[in-house]
Amino acid sequence: MSIALKGVMQAPVTPLKDDGSFDPDGFAKMVDFHVRHGAPAIAWPHHKAESLNLTIAERKLGAEVAVKTVAKRVPVSIFVGTLAEEDSLEIARHAQKIGADLILAISPYCRRPSQEEIFDSVVRIGTHTDLPILTYNSPWRNGEGVEFTGDLTRRLIDRLPNYIGMKDASFHSEKFMEISRVALKMRPGFAIIMGVEHLLASYPLGACGSFSSSGAIAPNLCNKYFAALVANDWDTARQCQYKISRLWRLFKEQYPSSLKGAMIMMGRPVGPTRPPLPTATKERIDFLRKQLEELNILQTEPHGW
Amino acid sequence: MPIFKPGLVHTPVTPFKVDQSIDYDTYAKLVEFHLRNGADALAVQMPAGEDMSLKDDEQGKLLEFALKQVKGRVPVIAHISDAGTDIAVARAQHAEKAGASAIVSHPPYFWHPKASMVAEHLVRIGAATRLPFFVCSPPVEDVGTPLTTEITLEVLDRVPTLAGAIDASMDFVFMVEVLSLGRAKRPEFQLLPGTDYMVPAGVIGAMGAFSPLSAVAPKLVRKVYDLCVKQQFTQARKEQEDIAELSHRLKMAGLAGLKGALRVLGRDCGQPRPPARALGEVEYGKLAEDLRAMSFLRAEPGGWEK
Repeated sequence: MSIALKGVMQAPVTPLKDDGSFDPDGFAKMVDFHVRHGAPAIAWPHHKAESLNLTIAERKLGAEVAVKTVAKRVPVSIFVGTLAEEDSLEIARHAQKIGADLILAISPYCRRPSQEEIFDSVVRIGTHTDLPILTYNSPWRNGEGVEFTGDLTRRLIDRLPNYIGMKDASFHSEKFMEISRVALKMRPGFAIIMGVEHLLASYPLGACGSFSSSGAIAPNLCNKYFAALVANDWDTARQCQYKISRLWRLFKEQYPSSLKGAMIMMGRPVGPTRPPLPTATKERIDFLRKQLEELNILQTEPHGW
Repeated sequence: MPIFKPGLVHTPVTPFKVDQSIDYDTYAKLVEFHLRNGADALAVQMPAGEDMSLKDDEQGKLLEFALKQVKGRVPVIAHISDAGTDIAVARAQHAEKAGASAIVSHPPYFWHPKASMVAEHLVRIGAATRLPFFVCSPPVEDVGTPLTTEITLEVLDRVPTLAGAIDASMDFVFMVEVLSLGRAKRPEFQLLPGTDYMVPAGVIGAMGAFSPLSAVAPKLVRKVYDLCVKQQFTQARKEQEDIAELSHRLKMAGLAGLKGALRVLGRDCGQPRPPARALGEVEYGKLAEDLRAMSFLRAEPGGWEK
């Protein structure tokens, strides 16, 4: 069950055709692009990949494409978060069957669940598969998230031998440390992986990496960032974090519409964004081009596939 | 004008007698304790000092008392937050006249005005004195308006004395954005953590820190602070985890937890003022037991001596 998860891991977007249908060939190119540009793991389909706008059949097909394209070069994590827990169980079963390396779960979704409901649901998913499982801590205040406290994390580590880590999107010193203090003591290899590269503040305290937002635009920057963290070169890491945070400010509006727009502009056609999210307009893409030039991204990062 | 860099700022509690009046004799002892135990500066009547439970005249008098007790040995920073702009402005002006070295303010308490009005509130406070001015983000769970990056940048554009932001939100995104974008406008702009979580803020680029736990564990706080100054963030992990354990335990009891810990350590500053809840004897006993189990606290001073 030992999987080495570390570094700025890439969570590909989902390429769509002009008619909005899933583009498996484009997705294979997307996944391969990330692996060739140093991704230490592939994780799909996160929110950036419009997970909740994909059918269960599309999610299974995409998972198969990801596993086949990666071909064991790096670990593949399949996100099983769905509105209905039964769908999560089905995707988890499928992930195991096709040879994925681990799953990422968030459940119950969009319900303001109690700690007991989260515990029960994660245990149902975690005992439904032999795969290692990560949970997704998202203590957002508008109710669609799921919050893991230190105590809940302790109970889940006690209960699930395959519970190997957490994606932490709290972005909060106290909440992060409430979990890290408990988890890393109980299970020293427990992987705490930050959301969208907000990694600088937590890396010295035991976080092992992040799930990337900007890697589809700036993989070189992501790799430089993590190398600086490993070397404890804090000045370089800080400059990379500041730049990545500026990218995040550009992309977070109607995420991932702007990100997909910027990818198209950089020669990686990933198509529209499914409703109810908007597709980036020509004006928005022109704005992004100027911003990315100013940040020296267009000049230093790969174009095309 | 030289840049005011506060360093490690201790934020004293406000001691109360049994009748709820301010215990000035104990406050004098507390100030001396902070000065002997590593304070580069003091920030008075911060939230740890129960600012919202102090009357306006008490706030002024307490600041004057602190300044008189410190006698210029370290800078004294005055926290002047209020719901009303005019009240906060008057308090800032009093602080300048009394001899404070800097002022700090949250966004207005209670109200949720538009961002432009929050900025206006802070601009009026900052413009009311010639002192270095720090804006402070409240903890996320507090009632009131959050301090956003955009509000801070607007205040930075309009107030030449704005020295920096003190972050009590512990929000990684805010800290990175406000510091990187603030420094792009004014290179000397500072970020200071307003909590004892110094490593996350330090690695982002914070300078200095406001420490609510400094009366409880001044040695531990100083050690983490010094490691952060030397950019030894990874080496500070164990001590930062100790602070997190202490902070987590005290937070379970609110303000009474902080004062309960002081009592356990022989520095009794009374109970918090109502409406904050006091600790009952059973709760206090449990707190004392938990603190005694924290072996890292054994290195801390007992009583009022170093």
